[in-house]
Amino acid sequence: MLKKYFLTLGLFVIFSPSVLWGQEKFTAPEVAAKYQGYFFYPGKDFKVLVSMQLIEKGGQERIRELTMLRKNSPKGLEQKYFIYFHQPADVRGMSFMVYKYPKKDDDRWLFMPALNLVKRIAAKDKRSSFVGSDFTYEDVSGRDLEEDDFSILREEKISDFGSMGQAGDCYVLKSVPKDPKSADYSYRLSWIDKESFLPLKEEYYDLKGELYKIFSAEELKQIQGFWTVTKRRMQNVKTGHQTLVSFKDIQYNLGMEENLFTERYLKNPPSKWIK
Amino acid sequence: MNKLTGFSIEHPKLTIFLILLLTLIFATQFPKVKTDTDPKNMLPASSEVRVYNDQVEKTFNLHKDMIVVGIVKEQGIFDPSTLEKIERITDKILKLQGVVLEDVTSFTTADNVVAEGNNLTVQPLLTKIPETEKEMESFKKSLYDNPIWLGRLISKDGKTTAIYVPLEPGANGKKIAEKIKKIISQEKGEEKYYIAGDPVARDTFGAEMFKQMALFSPLAGLIMMVALFLMFANLPLVFSIMGVAMMSIVWSMGLLIGLGFPVHIMSSMIPVFLMAISTDSIHIFNEFYFRFNEVKDKKKAVIDTINTVGAPVRYTALATAVGFGVLAIGGIIPVRVFGLFVAFGTVVIRFMSFTFIPAVMMLVKEEKLLKVSSRDSLEKGASVWLGKLGRFATAKPKILLGIGFILLVLAIAGISRIKVNNNMVKWFKEKSEIRQADKIMNENLGGTSLGYLVAQTNTPEGMKEPENLKYLEGVQKDLEKVEVVGKTTGLTDLIKRMHRVINQDKPEFEKIPEDRKVIAQYLFMFGMATKPSTLDNLVDYPYQQANLMVQLKTWDAQAMQKVIDRVDDYQKSFPNGNLKFKPAGIAYFNLVWNNEVLFDMVKVFILALILVYLILSFNFRSFKWGLLSYFPLIFTIVLIYGVVGFIGKDFDMPISVLSTLSLGMAVDFAIHFIQRFKQRYETEKDLQKALIWTVERPGKGILRNALLFSLAFSVMIFASLTPYSTVGIFIASLMMISAFLTLIYLPAFIVLFRRFLITELKTEAQNGSINSP
Repeated sequence: MLKKYFLTLGLFVIFSPSVLWGQEKFTAPEVAAKYQGYFFYPGKDFKVLVSMQLIEKGGQERIRELTMLRKNSPKGLEQKYFIYFHQPADVRGMSFMVYKYPKKDDDRWLFMPALNLVKRIAAKDKRSSFVGSDFTYEDVSGRDLEEDDFSILREEKISDFGSMGQAGDCYVLKSVPKDPKSADYSYRLSWIDKESFLPLKEEYYDLKGELYKIFSAEELKQIQGFWTVTKRRMQNVKTGHQTLVSFKDIQYNLGMEENLFTERYLKNPPSKWIK
Repeated sequence: MNKLTGFSIEHPKLTIFLILLLTLIFATQFPKVKTDTDPKNMLPASSEVRVYNDQVEKTFNLHKDMIVVGIVKEQGIFDPSTLEKIERITDKILKLQGVVLEDVTSFTTADNVVAEGNNLTVQPLLTKIPETEKEMESFKKSLYDNPIWLGRLISKDGKTTAIYVPLEPGANGKKIAEKIKKIISQEKGEEKYYIAGDPVARDTFGAEMFKQMALFSPLAGLIMMVALFLMFANLPLVFSIMGVAMMSIVWSMGLLIGLGFPVHIMSSMIPVFLMAISTDSIHIFNEFYFRFNEVKDKKKAVIDTINTVGAPVRYTALATAVGFGVLAIGGIIPVRVFGLFVAFGTVVIRFMSFTFIPAVMMLVKEEKLLKVSSRDSLEKGASVWLGKLGRFATAKPKILLGIGFILLVLAIAGISRIKVNNNMVKWFKEKSEIRQADKIMNENLGGTSLGYLVAQTNTPEGMKEPENLKYLEGVQKDLEKVEVVGKTTGLTDLIKRMHRVINQDKPEFEKIPEDRKVIAQYLFMFGMATKPSTLDNLVDYPYQQANLMVQLKTWDAQAMQKVIDRVDDYQKSFPNGNLKFKPAGIAYFNLVWNNEVLFDMVKVFILALILVYLILSFNFRSFKWGLLSYFPLIFTIVLIYGVVGFIGKDFDMPISVLSTLSLGMAVDFAIHFIQRFKQRYETEKDLQKALIWTVERPGKGILRNALLFSLAFSVMIFASLTPYSTVGIFIASLMMISAFLTLIYLPAFIVLFRRFLITELKTEAQNGSINSP
């Protein structure tokens, strides 16, 4: 009972709008917690039409278009994702469901319409690529805060901040995995906007300490009061491969039912949410 | 005698000073030296095969360079302690600079798609070291069940595994291999480790090459010096011949480096070649000693010598320079560079013969000369023996002709058995670490030489068509019947694997599905679940082209030809308009430049033959004499290549260059012989006597020259790289053979065909056109 109380309090702290806090100083773990909350957990649920461009070094592209539904667990940090693919044409109708647990491996299910078959995919690895993009599952759904050590290296202004035409005052947060084997990177630097607590830029350094991946937020919008990165880019500087993602038709707090995220709907996607 | 020689005789000290000064200037370029051992640079970057290879590497995200670490354990590698070692070694390799860490492939990093009940698991082959017997068995099964890894990560007998380490562009393979060796040396146990792969071979070769060059050029020089001293017993003269050799090396290598050319396997041999060519100056000394003995006046002897020997030396230099110079028209870049700079060096040597050498002769004290030169006229041993040889040759020309004919027939039979082949790994000696490693890997795993066959369809998405994939599968199955093919890996393997795993791991589903959508969705799953390279290496982004990787068990260039022929045959037997196959990869590249070597050799050789013939004919003012002087040369080449064919030695780049080389060098002997014979014949009208004299006196020069040559090159027999020892052995024997053939067959032929040859000589002599240097 007490535990639940603390948890609710914790969530309240995380999600309270930053205006309340003014220009107060935060500790590194606090910044990390806020970043996680605003970037991966906004709203009770969330729906978006995602289009992804996977661009290889030579400039050739593959397109992914999908509808993604997300629902946060009312109790903890668990989340459920439902993904329905529209493009490419020959995989249209494929759907994908993920139960994310912060402390253990995800559960994933995939429906293949060509075989009318649902397969459970045992994922032992949150680091694998999300639908072939440069984003990993972790990049899409976040990483357990307890797995990393955080420190704030400095505060910095990202002045060249593209279409937003605003100068982002940022914390530069360094995340170092406690267990080096738990991540692909040896450390990550995140430029976290002091206003939205969203990452404007992230740099991933590999086991040799060399920069290999750069995330950049290219468009931020406030939707239903939630700051959302609506255009983002992940670039692998070593391979020259990159992924461009844009969000459309964003809606928060739609009141999704819990039973939406079941195997039944994998085969018959809910027309209410997916056109 | 030209003005330059006149100047050198009048101002010997100034001449020597100026030449040394020039040498110093060339020497200043040496620190800029860089090497290039990448076989790709055999052909220009713009060549079709290189352009296409680059394109294929880009399309399929392939790495140019890969080190393979083989791990062998006789008791089998399915032992927790061995697996732990593999895990530790892999982890350490991942942290090495210059390694593409995301594509390092070993048990602990390789993707594996497995079925567990209704679950599909994508994970590295080895996530946790098996502790129980049962866990070990299931790990073993997962390996053997997966055709993608069988033969790549595990040998059929379970004793060998490997770690594949792709390198970032420009990384030094030898340095990384050494770091890997260090990592391995920290492990104890019964496992044996082997490091193989193209970049290791290449960079080791580069390092080795420098050692050989630094060791054998001076060694050859030293041997020549000793031999020269034994012949002439006069240090200043010995040093001046060596000086000419050294200076021509410094000039040529200085120029080469200064112009920004990297030192390559071929150009690293320039010093030894120039050293050998510089022995031509021996004729000058040989004559000088005879002359000085006769006139006892140093200056007159020098002038007379230059006047007499000048013409042959000039023409031999020209012939040598042309022989090497024509290499420049070939397509193999290192051979081109080699030819041009040896030609340049030859010109330098010639220049020295008319400046530096007379200048040195002028400075040698007369008393000393007297002592030594009297020794030379006394030293009759060789001359007596040569005289007998000359008498025999002039007396029994028909017997010689018969023997020659038999040898020729045999040699031609040998030539017909010649096998054109370049094999980089065989450039190392049999016992070398690299060759051992390569052998072990080829015996146990799929093969270290990699070729690609790019299957192209007409339309994007074409590679998702079951029909095309089935055809590709057919090609694969057919190719695996070819003896040199160790393993093939294609998009088909991924799809078949997925099909089986999705269908409860039932073996009967290990085939290409009939439904295009199923295939598309499998491919999509791969894109979702595995490393990007898993799919990217085998299919291009628009799914229009698939890459079939063909591992070959040998680096022999011809292996890839067998693959290409097999695919052509398959396509003829089973026509399919939708798929085209195009070869690429290092194995294909080796084949292309291998063929280029042969084509080049033939092209260059024919051109050199024509040019040298023209020079000879011009030299003798007679096409007949030109033809005659050609004979020992052609005979030598035919004999040498006949031997190459008989002993089954691969006809590779260094050997192919030998042909033009012999053209340039062996012709020297004939020029000297004929030129001097003609001079003699003017005063000595008895043909036989004139010939015997020529065999005795200039013949001794020829023999000395050949001996020096052979000695210089024979040290290379002990080189640790086979191209060096091959070249050493062949040049040494080539020189000796052509010297003997010159001394035996020229007199025999002149006697035999005197009617054709001598009449001309007489009219010529009457016109007074002979002997005008």
